Amino acid sequence: MSKTRKRIKLELTRRDFLALAATAAGSAVASQLLTTGALSPFAGLKQRQVTGESAPEKASSQYHWGMVIDLDKCIGCQYCQRACSATNDVADDKPWNIVAEDHMANGRKFFFTRPCLHCQDAPCVEVCPVQATYHREDGLVVMDYNRCIGCRYCEVACPYDARKFNWKEREDKNAYEPTWGLAEVPRRPRGVVEKCTFCIHRIDAGLAKGLMPGVDREATPACVNICPVGARVFGNLKDSNSKVSIAIQNNPTLRLREELGTEPSVYYIPPRKEA
Amino acid sequence: MATVALPIKKPSIFTPGFLAWLAFVGLCLVIGLVSAVDVLSNGLTVTNMSNTIPWGLWITIDLSSIALGAGAFTLSAIVYLLKLKNFQSIVRLAVFVGFVGYTAALLTLIMDIGRPDRFWHPWVYWNVHSVLWEITWCITLYLAIMLLEFLPVITDLPFFARWPGLRKFTHSLHKAAPLFALLGLGISLLHQSSLGATYGILRSRPIWFKPSMPIMFIVSAVAVGPALTVAIAHIAEWVRGRPTVAHDILRTIARFSGFGLLLYAYIKLWDLLAVSYYGRSPQVNQAFAVLNEQTPYGFGFWVVEIIIGILIPAIFFLTPRFNRRPAFLVAGALAAVIGIVANRWNVTVSGLTVPLSYSPGVDYQSVAGTYWPSLTEWGIAVGIIGYGLLLLTLGLRFLPLFDHSEHTEAKRS
Repeated sequence: MSKTRKRIKLELTRRDFLALAATAAGSAVASQLLTTGALSPFAGLKQRQVTGESAPEKASSQYHWGMVIDLDKCIGCQYCQRACSATNDVADDKPWNIVAEDHMANGRKFFFTRPCLHCQDAPCVEVCPVQATYHREDGLVVMDYNRCIGCRYCEVACPYDARKFNWKEREDKNAYEPTWGLAEVPRRPRGVVEKCTFCIHRIDAGLAKGLMPGVDREATPACVNICPVGARVFGNLKDSNSKVSIAIQNNPTLRLREELGTEPSVYYIPPRKEA
Repeated sequence: MATVALPIKKPSIFTPGFLAWLAFVGLCLVIGLVSAVDVLSNGLTVTNMSNTIPWGLWITIDLSSIALGAGAFTLSAIVYLLKLKNFQSIVRLAVFVGFVGYTAALLTLIMDIGRPDRFWHPWVYWNVHSVLWEITWCITLYLAIMLLEFLPVITDLPFFARWPGLRKFTHSLHKAAPLFALLGLGISLLHQSSLGATYGILRSRPIWFKPSMPIMFIVSAVAVGPALTVAIAHIAEWVRGRPTVAHDILRTIARFSGFGLLLYAYIKLWDLLAVSYYGRSPQVNQAFAVLNEQTPYGFGFWVVEIIIGILIPAIFFLTPRFNRRPAFLVAGALAAVIGIVANRWNVTVSGLTVPLSYSPGVDYQSVAGTYWPSLTEWGIAVGIIGYGLLLLTLGLRFLPLFDHSEHTEAKRS
């Protein structure tokens, strides 16, 4: 055995040395870039974990539209759902806004309502293969009905069940019209996914006229305007004097399934435990 | 039609049995076409899919036929990258089966999307974060690679003898076979696992959200794809009465599949223990409670996926007592195929059946969905099967899938 074993001689040419040195240096740079540097997919996450700051603001314009829903005030009248279905001409197989009865752990009844939450880290936006759903600069998650291919992956991915697919071409008469409002947007064609827009058409048209969404009714979502008890407040989360910001400052709030990290733009004031 | 023009050496190929078979395949295709017209004219409302369960039988077919086409890249890699030239004789068949599987998946996908007229959007409007975007790209690219791999076989048809230049060109393409195999391997490793990731990345779905999803998808595909190719080689031999691929080669591939299935079972077991038993969260617990209450989930998992889909084929493929007998290899492959289809169905429909829960209260959650495919959905499924059978029949009948042209080529050059 020892006879056959060849002597191992360490030979290192200049070329070998340079190659090894370059590999080592490259690895060091790459590891630095990938762990904390510019290329790291987790850079933002780490920053947040270290500093304990809240999530970075994704909306890049001066606006970030958000909503506060006071579950303590909600009386379950479903006006929000009806006004929404009329204004946005939503078919009745699945409304954009839902209202449901629920209970707290101690058995006390309350009403739970939900529009689209316009998540800042939205699973639907991430999974769409054609960017038919995307973030606008003002934080809204919007749909491009002309681009959607109808694969329904966003509907599967949404944690809040806020999306619906158009299974057929609509020919029905909207039962909520004209009692609860008039349709302000065209019906969506067969074969695409749709969802709550925070009445984007009102926001855009209102801003163009110099109106402030959340303050001026003409520029405010239909569900907010119609609520008889003022359970829904709408406005600019980036403006600390807006109604939504003040409601968030003065009340305990939660966001739905916060542990998923979706960063919704809708805040809830939970119901009180005692009557 | 074309057969009239072709010089038919043996008119006896149209035996009564073969005609009956063609009639059966034709019937399947007619059913599929009628269903497709129904879907395209009336929209997806003719299906039993809903906003609660937006994916169903057709997605199951997509996932299954792509997984079953995995023999193409696996065997190409074995021959052209690992240089195991013994397996050369099955590569053409494997690529052909892969081609059938992938085109079947694309056909089903066209039915399944709400706007078939926009099928090209993923190539123009990119979302690089979307696994579905990546899958679309990979499937298309891989289909192109399989076509390039397969061109020499097509131009070997007598029909192409009139253009010797073309034949020469396609055979020169064959020199790039190792490159195609490498690209095919890379792209397949990507999309076969991404199909599992499609489910595995969804944070809000308790029984989907786990890192094992892409791994289980790719391991099962690599195990079962080659087994299906083996079964088709044996069936072709029975039907044609002429040998196709040497039996010891087929047996070796079946053994490879058997070990693949055992690896799949091993990962599946740890997945079960880690996610569903030791690592169970309240959401996972509740999900399985709902599934076992409302669906035959336990039966589907243990009996169809594990016993029929893994254990029986593994025994048939690995024990000498069975794997020397072609009938058992074919039976084992069919059992494994059933297991794959059942798995893809279980993953898709079960994950969607589990209701979402997001209210701050304790009671409200979205309703648990129920789903069973409609007649039209089954019709499309029958049509897709007919399409696969038609292509396999024509290919086995007319394409030189088993001509070992490597040798003739070597002589020629």
